[in-house]
Amino acid sequence: MSKYLIYPELVFTDRTLLLAALADLGYPEVEEGEFLPLFGYLGDQRSETAELVIRRRSIGAASNDIGFTKTAQGYVPIISEYDQRTLHGGRFLVELRSAYAEHVVDAVTQRLHGMARRTVDGNVIKITVRY
Amino acid sequence: MPEITFTIDPATGNLEMHVTGIAGPACEDIAKLAKELLGAPEREEQTAEYRLRVAVRPSVRPKANA
Repeated sequence: MSKYLIYPELVFTDRTLLLAALADLGYPEVEEGEFLPLFGYLGDQRSETAELVIRRRSIGAASNDIGFTKTAQGYVPIISEYDQRTLHGGRFLVELRSAYAEHVVDAVTQRLHGMARRTVDGNVIKITVRY
Repeated sequence: MPEITFTIDPATGNLEMHVTGIAGPACEDIAKLAKELLGAPEREEQTAEYRLRVAVRPSVRPKANA
């Protein structure tokens, strides 16, 4: 049994952008509700609940549900130790942050009616928005 | 022309934002929008450009019927 880890310092403020980022990572099916129960890979209900849940059937047979609990600051991920270690080669949260960041840039560009220019500078992505 | 440069580091998922071309606290509006979507930043710095004051000069227009 893998324990769940909660990352309070990792907050996704905007629900729509978070759902878009999850879809980018290959998880378009996200259950939404209040205090949704989380289940482990054996089908066992865990004590944690969340407002956004990716069910383990969408992740993998050995995986547990992944949740995002709503706080005053935004959505905080709840992910099992196992999935944190194995999902996307252990980079699930990092890739989710990057995908979310790209959607933030898109949202800012749209709101400002700006034009974005994207370049890759070494290992980083630079997006310049003029408006 | 105002410009925002976003830098995303795929190795960490970190996002940095740099606003240029807006003198004075007008860039606070952009910062506010970013905070709305990203939450409170880990670090926030005001550049020299931020501290510039926008000079407003009174303009005198000739009267149309003058």
